[in-house]
Amino acid sequence: MKTIDFCVNGKNVSVICSPAKTLLDVLREDAGLTGSKECCGKGECGSCTVLLNDVPVCSCLVLAGQVEGERVVTVEGIGTKQAMDPVQQAFVDEGATQCGYCTPGLIVASRAYLTSIGHVPGLDEIKRALGGNLCRCTGYTKILQAVQTAAARQLSSREL
Amino acid sequence: MKNSHFKYVGKRIPRIDGPEKVTGELKYMTDYQFENMVWGKVLRSSFPYARIKHIDTSRAEALAGVLAVLTHKDIPGFNGFGIVVPDQPVLASDVVRCTGDAIALVAAETQEIAEHALSLIHVDYEPLTPITDAEFAMTDRAPFLHESGNIHSHVTIKNGDTEKAFSEADIILENTFYSPRQMHAFIETEGGWGVLEPDGMLTIRCPGQYAYRDRLQIARALALNPARIRVISNPIGGAFGGKDEITVQIYLALLALHTDGRPVKIHLSREESVIAGIKRHPFKVQMKTAARKDGTIIANQVRAVADTGAYASLGGAVIALAIEHCCGPYKIPNVDLEGFCVYTNNGISGAFRGFGVNQVCAAIETHMDMLAEKLNLDPIELRKKNVYQKGDTSSIGHVLKTSVGTLQTLETAEKCELWKNRALHKKDISEPWKKRGIGLATSFHAVGMGIGLPDYGAATLELMQDGTFKVGVGCEDIGGGNGTVYAQIAAELLNCSISSISVVQGDTSETIDSGTVTASRSTYTGGKAIAAAVPNMIRLLTEAAAEIHGVMPENVLMGDDELYALKEDGEKTVTYKDIFHYLYEKHRPTKVEGHFMLPKEQEEFKGSGGAPHHLYGYLTHIVLVEVDTMTGETDVLRVVSIPDAGKVLNPQGLEGQAEGGAVMGIGYTLYEDVLMEAGYHKTTNFTNYILPTIRETPIIETFPVDSAEETGPFGAKGIGEVVMIPIIAAITNAIYDAAGIRIKHLPATPERIFAALKEQEASTPVNLNE
Ligand code: FES
Ligand code: FES
Repeated sequence: MKTIDFCVNGKNVSVICSPAKTLLDVLREDAGLTGSKECCGKGECGSCTVLLNDVPVCSCLVLAGQVEGERVVTVEGIGTKQAMDPVQQAFVDEGATQCGYCTPGLIVASRAYLTSIGHVPGLDEIKRALGGNLCRCTGYTKILQAVQTAAARQLSSREL
Repeated sequence: MKNSHFKYVGKRIPRIDGPEKVTGELKYMTDYQFENMVWGKVLRSSFPYARIKHIDTSRAEALAGVLAVLTHKDIPGFNGFGIVVPDQPVLASDVVRCTGDAIALVAAETQEIAEHALSLIHVDYEPLTPITDAEFAMTDRAPFLHESGNIHSHVTIKNGDTEKAFSEADIILENTFYSPRQMHAFIETEGGWGVLEPDGMLTIRCPGQYAYRDRLQIARALALNPARIRVISNPIGGAFGGKDEITVQIYLALLALHTDGRPVKIHLSREESVIAGIKRHPFKVQMKTAARKDGTIIANQVRAVADTGAYASLGGAVIALAIEHCCGPYKIPNVDLEGFCVYTNNGISGAFRGFGVNQVCAAIETHMDMLAEKLNLDPIELRKKNVYQKGDTSSIGHVLKTSVGTLQTLETAEKCELWKNRALHKKDISEPWKKRGIGLATSFHAVGMGIGLPDYGAATLELMQDGTFKVGVGCEDIGGGNGTVYAQIAAELLNCSISSISVVQGDTSETIDSGTVTASRSTYTGGKAIAAAVPNMIRLLTEAAAEIHGVMPENVLMGDDELYALKEDGEKTVTYKDIFHYLYEKHRPTKVEGHFMLPKEQEEFKGSGGAPHHLYGYLTHIVLVEVDTMTGETDVLRVVSIPDAGKVLNPQGLEGQAEGGAVMGIGYTLYEDVLMEAGYHKTTNFTNYILPTIRETPIIETFPVDSAEETGPFGAKGIGEVVMIPIIAAITNAIYDAAGIRIKHLPATPERIFAALKEQEASTPVNLNE
């Protein structure tokens, strides 16, 4: 057992756990942040995606010890029901969520991707960016639309 | 019916649960954590088929941090479950029939301790030779896996005289088709939690597709009054039929009885889910189809064998539905059809979107494509010539009494850009060694349960303190968005804002029994039940408003989100909040119910296992593929999905189903298969089970045909399953169009396509004159 201090969604937290516990389990079990989901536990599905120092990672593959002193952002840190991020709003508007279990990972991955570009991406670009996130319900079509919608809105609000 | 009459029905209303899903605020059952929570784990069998000689749990029990170790001896009630026949033991006692069989349960302070405890349980097995081939299982040489034998069910439908028709036919096709063991691969694996409440109520929170039935199965195993059990089955991180059967509910219930009132949680790893979870039935389909030169199909003979694995679950219903649908939406006068659902030691198969129709549609629609080619007819013309319409008699011999949209879907297909310009699209290859092709297929899927099974819907409608309404329907939202459709229907009929409607689903304490979320039935059935509840609510509101203002009820009118009482001195507004308080003070109920029985056919075809159904949804798919002749890889580039789902209540939701179904169908046709060897799973997790990703997503267009089914809510039918059916044959037909090879063994992996291309090369004579 070890005390691990890190920053999650802008707040400093301190948890006592085995340094070999996955970041995903720390978030879900110790930090009470259950937005990030476990689906495969092997880095295959992306439903556990969080930002580690602004870079999207599979939190099921990151160990607690590795985040000591680092910055983590989960879906809860992207936006809330009262104040949704444009990506979240676009997912709702376009119907890009069905059962919703894959959605938090996709929101985090999409947010990171849109932050890194300054244009409305083409379908192939989005497909490359989100290739690591599995969704069994939607057939991805509305996810592609949602990312484009969010990008367009983001761009027009920047131009204002 | 024009959409413009409506405020919500027929509109692209975004999901009402969208905001809580995209923010991660929605709590799924597997998300709950409690200070005093304990972890449950399941010991699964080490062998696909073995006798259990002895189980020793003493070392596990002695481990510090272990609260309970349970075996079959600790089951207070009946040691079995299964939707139709409870042939699956909750905890195996003397024999295991698949590696998913549970033998013992552990509850412990941590997951690690629970896992360690599992390793300390010693089971003394006598391994037996597993039966891994369904055809072999049906022979005299195979030992019986169940007392009743290895054939769980045998269904037949006969109509006309096939022998005579075959002797008179101009052309006969005869082929055998094999289909894979698809995994549901819902993103949330099976899990949940249970707790014995201080008042003695047992609460089980576990995603499922029919809370009331799950509760009965739990009650039977625990010998407990169902009224003392509350099952909450919503929300669900995906199901597709895979959470229709009991998953871990009974394990949670048993463990919760032994943890001193502490909540117990189980959440399967993906690896355990692969082994223990049900799959789609692999089928062998032998089909012989006869036609006349002009394209009239005159006979179809089918023998289908479904491998249900160790236990029946819904296997009997799956093979029955397959046989009912195996002639397609056509009127073939002479048919001879039979299906077998057979026990083996290959895991367990059960309900899965499409429910047996996928496997047989692949066969009949491949034959349609072959006939069109051999008779030199347009594939759409050939189908149009043979489809039935409302009022016609189907192949299985019943008169279609509800709406039939096949012809309209085919006409739409004919006019769509992809089909009209198919010659151009074929030429547009991305590399010289790649070939493009376009394929089409059409199919149908029954809505509702069929003859012999109760099929009713029920809904509650409650006026709340703040003047809003709570709609309660037992049917869960397994992802399809029926909750949003329920809100649309209620808001439309109550003439209130959709934001004044909340929906509760899948909770035996909060909703009344409304049947399962299967058979594409929940929009139709739940929607009708809400429509039946609304007049009762309006009566309740009107009467209260009349009393409040001392007028006759006929002098109360409905406005937007409020009522008006017409009095001599003018109109008086009554808000729903006022009415709630009036009724509350008088201790009068503010909740009403609505009930609906699904219409059924009167007579069952003897031996068919429940055919015919009364209502069907129809769909035509067109796809464009590109086959890489060097690697055998196939890419699906475009999909056009043309459903007849009746009136579309929410186009966005319908498209979502059509897109999701298409991609799931692509996975089924091209790569998905849970491989098994000698009863063991060779496929273990998502590392070796290939699911379609966003990269493989083609352009998908959905063009619903304009139709309305008189009996449905606002004219709707159902959509959940048919969306992934015709695409299977549409893809294999497109592969043929591209590369000239017929794939009859799915999935159409690069290896199979490559081998077929090589075979084709070897058998094509070289023309020296060229
Ligand atoms: S759970 Fe982390 S990638 Fe699947
Ligand atoms: S919405 Fe269900 S898995 Fe993506």
